[in-house]
Amino acid sequence: MKSILIIYEQALEPEVKEMMRLHNVRGFTQVQNVNGRGSRGGEPHLGTHAWPALNDTMLIVVEDEKVQPILDTLKQIDNDSEILGIRAFVWNIEAMI
Amino acid sequence: MKITETAVKNPVSTALIFIAIVIMGIFSLTKLPIDLYPNFDTNTLMVITTYPGASAEDIEANVTRPMEGVLNTVENLKTLTSQSRENTSVITLEFNWGENIDQVTNDVRDKLELIKMQLPAGSSNPIIFKFSTDMIPIIMISAQAKESLPGLYKILDNGIANQLARVGGVGAVSIMGAPEREILVYVDPNKMAAYNMTVEGISQNIAAANLNTPAGTINVGNNSYSLRVKGEFTEPKQLDSVIVGTVGNKNVFLKDIAQITDSLQEHIQKSFTNEVQGATIVIQKQSGANTVQIASKIKSMLPELQKGLPSDVKLNVIMDTSTNINNTIRSLEETVILAFVFVMLVVMFFLGRWRATVIIIVTIPVSLVSSFIFLFVTGGTLNIITLSGLTIAIGLVVDDAIVVLENITKHIERGSDPMSASAQGANEVSLAVVASTLTLIAVFLPFTMMSGMAGIMFKVLGWLVTIMITMSLVAAITLTPMMTSKLMKKDLKHSKFFDTVYGPIERGLNNLDKFYGRIVSWVTLHRGLTVVLGVLIFILSLMPMVTGKIGAEFTPASDNATIAATVELPIGVGNDVTCNLALKISKYIREKYKNEVQVVNFSTGLPSSDNTYALLRNSGDNLISFNVRLVSKSNRKISMFEIADNIRSYLNDIPDIKKVNVIAGGGMQAAGGQQTLNVEVYGYDFTETDTIAAKFAKEFKTIKGFKNITVSRSDYQPEYQVDFDREKLALNGLNLATASTFLRNRMSGSIASLYREDGDEYNIRVVNAPMYRTSIEDIENILIYNPMGQAVKIRDLGTVVQRFTPPTIERKSRQRLITVAGVASGAPLSDIVADAKKIVNATELPSDISIAYSGSYQDMQDSNNDMLMLGALILLLVFVVMASQFESLTYPFINMLTILFALSGAIIALWLTGHTFNMMSAIGIIMLMGIVVKNGIVLIDYINLNRERGMGVRHAVIRGGESRLRPVLMTSITAILGMLPLAISNGEGAEMWQPMAVVVVGGLTFSTILTLLFVPSLYTIFAGTGVKRNRRKLEKKYAKIN
Repeated sequence: MKSILIIYEQALEPEVKEMMRLHNVRGFTQVQNVNGRGSRGGEPHLGTHAWPALNDTMLIVVEDEKVQPILDTLKQIDNDSEILGIRAFVWNIEAMI
Repeated sequence: MKITETAVKNPVSTALIFIAIVIMGIFSLTKLPIDLYPNFDTNTLMVITTYPGASAEDIEANVTRPMEGVLNTVENLKTLTSQSRENTSVITLEFNWGENIDQVTNDVRDKLELIKMQLPAGSSNPIIFKFSTDMIPIIMISAQAKESLPGLYKILDNGIANQLARVGGVGAVSIMGAPEREILVYVDPNKMAAYNMTVEGISQNIAAANLNTPAGTINVGNNSYSLRVKGEFTEPKQLDSVIVGTVGNKNVFLKDIAQITDSLQEHIQKSFTNEVQGATIVIQKQSGANTVQIASKIKSMLPELQKGLPSDVKLNVIMDTSTNINNTIRSLEETVILAFVFVMLVVMFFLGRWRATVIIIVTIPVSLVSSFIFLFVTGGTLNIITLSGLTIAIGLVVDDAIVVLENITKHIERGSDPMSASAQGANEVSLAVVASTLTLIAVFLPFTMMSGMAGIMFKVLGWLVTIMITMSLVAAITLTPMMTSKLMKKDLKHSKFFDTVYGPIERGLNNLDKFYGRIVSWVTLHRGLTVVLGVLIFILSLMPMVTGKIGAEFTPASDNATIAATVELPIGVGNDVTCNLALKISKYIREKYKNEVQVVNFSTGLPSSDNTYALLRNSGDNLISFNVRLVSKSNRKISMFEIADNIRSYLNDIPDIKKVNVIAGGGMQAAGGQQTLNVEVYGYDFTETDTIAAKFAKEFKTIKGFKNITVSRSDYQPEYQVDFDREKLALNGLNLATASTFLRNRMSGSIASLYREDGDEYNIRVVNAPMYRTSIEDIENILIYNPMGQAVKIRDLGTVVQRFTPPTIERKSRQRLITVAGVASGAPLSDIVADAKKIVNATELPSDISIAYSGSYQDMQDSNNDMLMLGALILLLVFVVMASQFESLTYPFINMLTILFALSGAIIALWLTGHTFNMMSAIGIIMLMGIVVKNGIVLIDYINLNRERGMGVRHAVIRGGESRLRPVLMTSITAILGMLPLAISNGEGAEMWQPMAVVVVGGLTFSTILTLLFVPSLYTIFAGTGVKRNRRKLEKKYAKIN
């Protein structure tokens, strides 16, 4: 089992939900309205007057074999709308109840 | 902003809410009555008291003065003026605007109760007359007649007045100039003396012979009948055989001593329309009724009514306020539509996308209909003020949407998807949009607090524009982003046609952006020079104002196609002579201005005392009052003012005429009449004040553009007075009251009884035959019977003398005054006032005479003070709004400087177009304060944004300028073009709004150009200094630690 933390511009919410339906991901944890800035350029998402954009984050835990297809889909979303921004990070799940 | 996101996420409910608003607005629009002016409470009351037979001086002493004494104590009274003339006393009470007039009327009525007992016995009860816009006749119909003239009154009363009065909303229908039937009993005083009879006795006998008496009931068998004596005359002939006395066992019949004629009133006011005699039917409406509806109803009834009249009676509408309203409203509607089209073209030009254009244009109806809802709820009407409000707003309501949409488009073009671009794009500029809307509200909301005449004009305007721009703000941050998220496409594929048409425009606009970027780069580098240049331009632009190239007046005069004129012949001229001259003048006017004049109507002579409308106007046998109706403004080349000037000079050249007063506009307008200056000469002594007034009047004629100079007091009227000797009266057992009643009954007649026919009543008047009323001897020979039954001639009781008395005594603030009045035609009022003051100051005045100035001049000064106060208040509010939005004092200050350039532009525009500085241009300047700071706000807000995003000051300014150039140009050009139709309109009533529109167009154009140059350089100066100061502070702080 691996967890994927997806951080994306709020506008991409429908696409992220679509991805989850595509890969039959049911469980998720979402944190909305988070600030952030990318390391490789792009506009900061700070929710201020100057930078009004905001991010949402989605934490999903999936089987190991699902990780790569999910990342591929996310990559495609990122390519489609580069300016908005979407990033995903994968961790191992050690144990769970 | 939360609201934007909610709107974007819930497109259905957003759309439906706005659709609901539009539907409610359209519903309200269909229910709104149309009128020329907003309904306002009058501030003027008139108290009219008639005292038949009294001269002006008697009226002044016995009626006016005691009443003034009491009425002067009414609360909130502003001015108290009075006119005492033959038979009538008219006291005018002017209150401060905004007083509850019903309350005031009650106060006045209470005071009048106090004084009633002290008024002379023969005087009528004082009538309180409330003058309001409703009193202005909405339609005047002339009825020309030839053979039917003697019976015209009855024909019109039954055939027309009754029917018209039944039309919903019609207040009063009065008939002027048609003589009423009267049964005249002309007695021969010599025969009366021979039979020892009096007019009073004869009157009593006639009354006793003309009676219906109920005599109770009678029971006959089982039935009960009522018993009655029907003794009333059934035809006037029966009067012949009335027995008026017995002499030597012989009956004396009325026919033996009198000649009985079934005739018309002796003194009547004659009325002519296009040189044919007839009557005038004056129709007034009820308060709050819809003028246009009533007028069209009445006009549709006329052909039907005409059928029921004798063939020689012709009806003709001579005055119809609804045509003026309709034309004015139509020209304003055209203006609104034109503004709409202009705005659409501008948006299309700049955005190049029809979907974007639709999104912007949608905000116009959404905002405008909100004003209809407001009007409907508050019971307002569609009038020139509210419609002008719409025209003013049309160019402003799109601004917010433009700024929002422009930013969203930019986001989409950069690659965001429409949904997030809409929410974010709207958010980015929301601060600027809210701030610029608030500044506009800061300008228009204080309008609602204005008082006085200006308050009436602009209160509703203030509310309407405030509501409309608030609505436009709401639409801009909800509806616009919602629509962009649905309608705008990420990848726009242009057709080939579009590329060929719009391609060059787009390239041009892009080049303009870059070009402006280079300019900003230059001005920010040479900021000192730029600022000096700006100051120079501002000072230069003030020159036309300082050198007096721009005149000042109160309100611009507007052409409503009506000219009123009163012509006065020397006192004592008979009515026939007056009539002939009037016919000649009427013919001349109609021939000279064949294509311009529609109808010439005039009336002359004294009206009967029961006609209130006629009582309000000056009338007499030597007076003619003309009413000239011109064809509507767009159908003629010569202006109303020019025609009025020509008629005036023609009348002045007729040697028989003593005094001429030609009023272009008819003098019945609430606003928009010609500008007047009244010089009031206060003083008790008639001769003294007359001399001074005459001198002023003569010298004022040399002032350029000061026309139609009249002196309010007319000539002394010759009159015969009977001076009774009180001792002789007492010796004969008589008192003054009895003696004067005898005189009055013989000369003016006594109403003996009423003759009834077909449900109408006519007076039976007993009076000396006309041939016994022609000389002083006839008066001296009148017999007065004392209680002992002895006859005494008036010659033995007193003397008949000829004296001269002023016909009308005018008073203001309980002092006699004489007014020298004139109108401005061809020169601004301010110049005329300056010249007039020079003349007055050069005149040496006796110590008991004082001078005051009034008329439009006084209104102008009052309104100037109001406007200054308002301007200062608005300036402060605008600053407060901007300072709180920017949370800074510096940036608002930079923005306020753009107002100075707006002032420059306004002055230059007024100078170039030759308009004057007046109430409307002052309003225009005040409006500019809110409109021009918008540009600065949009610009500075974006520069600040750039700096927050980490750019350096100059870079932020240049990039901000490049990016904001289009929205600034778009909002300014839509506002300018929205106002342009009003500025160049030639429709009816357009003169009034022109100065305002010219000021806004000029000021906005000028200030937009200069704002784009000076705001960047000023920003660089202030922000640069700020940055340096912060750096020094930092260095100092850490220098200490080290």
